[in-house]
Amino acid sequence: MDRRSFLSTAAAGIAAVALGPDVLHAAAASAGDWTLGVADVEADIPRQALRRLHGRAPVALSGTLFRNGPAKFHRPGGSALHWFDGDGMVRAFRIDEGQASLAARFLDTPKRRADTAANGVVTPGFGTPHRKGARGANNDDANPANISVMAAGGEMWALWESGSPMGFDPVTLETKGFKTLRPDLAHMPFLAHPRVEPGGRVWNLGLFGQKAIVWRLAPDGALEAAEPISLPRASYIHDFTATARHLVIVLQPWIQDRFAMPYKDSLSWRPDLGTQILVVDKGDFSKRRIFEAPPFFFFHLGDAWEEADGTIRFDAALDKDPSFAIEGGAAIITGRDVAGADPAMALVTLRPGGAVDITRTGQSGEFPRADPRFAGLARRRTVHLTRGADIHPLMQAVAVTDWKTGRSDAYDFGPGHIVEEMVFVPRPGGEAEFDGWLVGTSINLAARRTELHAFDARRVAAGPLVSWAAGVALPVTFHGLFVGA
Amino acid sequence: MTSPRMKTAALFLSIATLHGVTLAAMPLDIAHAQEAATAPASLTITFQGISQPTGELRGQLFASEAAYGGKGGEPAAQFVLPVTGDSVSTTLTGLQPGRYAIRVFHDVDGDGKMAANPFGIPTEPFAFSNDARGAFGPAAWSDAAFEVAGEAATVITID
Repeated sequence: MDRRSFLSTAAAGIAAVALGPDVLHAAAASAGDWTLGVADVEADIPRQALRRLHGRAPVALSGTLFRNGPAKFHRPGGSALHWFDGDGMVRAFRIDEGQASLAARFLDTPKRRADTAANGVVTPGFGTPHRKGARGANNDDANPANISVMAAGGEMWALWESGSPMGFDPVTLETKGFKTLRPDLAHMPFLAHPRVEPGGRVWNLGLFGQKAIVWRLAPDGALEAAEPISLPRASYIHDFTATARHLVIVLQPWIQDRFAMPYKDSLSWRPDLGTQILVVDKGDFSKRRIFEAPPFFFFHLGDAWEEADGTIRFDAALDKDPSFAIEGGAAIITGRDVAGADPAMALVTLRPGGAVDITRTGQSGEFPRADPRFAGLARRRTVHLTRGADIHPLMQAVAVTDWKTGRSDAYDFGPGHIVEEMVFVPRPGGEAEFDGWLVGTSINLAARRTELHAFDARRVAAGPLVSWAAGVALPVTFHGLFVGA
Repeated sequence: MTSPRMKTAALFLSIATLHGVTLAAMPLDIAHAQEAATAPASLTITFQGISQPTGELRGQLFASEAAYGGKGGEPAAQFVLPVTGDSVSTTLTGLQPGRYAIRVFHDVDGDGKMAANPFGIPTEPFAFSNDARGAFGPAAWSDAAFEVAGEAATVITID
């Protein structure tokens, strides 16, 4: 572990503890109430025009930013006890001819129906136990479809990580039902972070303890293959990555070693075991190699690439332990901010000789995204969030890090905003990496509204080219996808 | 990821007892054990809501919580019913009056087994008497049990 990074992390933790939660709350209150970012939404949002705040939309920027995230946590008969267990709600921000609009709709899942009928969150989840009145036959009955979205031909799918994709209509956002890619694969888990090759082929994992399958889908979403793959340990895997030739599966030492409810209680943090990184040939799963790395925790990885000598590199948002997943995610939806989580951007290099180098930038960061035209190929840039002023448990700034120069440019929305993951949108006709825009949303806490922004991806520090305001504040989303018009 | 991972494994194991259903209906020797003073009962079971008119329903009738939970004792009766439409009925006779519960699955592909995905999660429909539903496991005996006396009848929705 990088000593400097560790010390700064520890210092941040100590500072937060020294200030105390009341002081932090007072500071947050002056900038607006950050708990707006985890507030419940009671009803679907019919399409509404957004009001342009400043700037001008690029003429060629046209399409829909679909975003997904939990939007209903509290019910009279018992509430979700973890951020990850709220009901999924798809938001569709449409940009066309310089105008923008927003519609949002809950995924009509069996879980949402059961919890609504019970008037309480009775269905179990990542951090919520199953309660009296819970009813379900299989994992999809607990599926909140609340993490991300993917495009599959003309369909859109809302993704969780321990169950089936949930189809929804790209225009009306109406729920279409769970996708069964082959009858014998019904209810098989499908991670929320598929890796999509530039040509559109989709790779993904489905995990159940130490058991795993590799999904391979055609660009139109049709199943090409679902093959078992053996893993050396039952790690918690939220995300994996891939080069053009290899799957890169990072096995952090947060390991499922018992049956317990809720799910997070079945995992043990075992830093003594280190992190293992499994590299598998996409064409032959028996061709595999395991790299040994120091212990770290992560949710998200960037796209990987491979160099001529076989060196593999990928960026990642690394944390020191799973304290956010365990305590932070539980605290946040009760309006509490707990110190400890401090994900930071790093570049991981797997050397042909077996060595693993981790270059830590020291910059806080999460939600890394890259130019999708370079997925699996050599690239330099990553857009990610960064903390900015440390005033609430969510992030306020967006940054682009250039892994070749080490330079990172950022735009800080300030403590009055919670900024959400931003995605890169290529400029039509452009070919160079990051020739295009960054499109994403923030929650303006003082004005109590969701805002939509577009940046020049090469000039993030200059601030948004255009910003629009919605007439409503929607809670923080996890992941999104821009689908061009 | 969530707790259903473990619970579905538990569910599968408990449902797996249904695999033991054989094609030949077993003789109902429970009738021989009944007391002369107790008139034998019959039970007509109607399955409705079947969405795929193929294969068979394979079910078991249990007369005790222990047998129902796979913790001892045999089923009081077993049945295999060919499916050709959206509903199917059967009548079990010679039953001792008392409390019973039913487990059933729809063997859609007719291979005699309850199909499961590669991680062991059932992929063929199943149901319990009283339309009881489990909490990511089989329905509890207390939810699925019902009284049988005289000429009893029950309806179960499956699929």
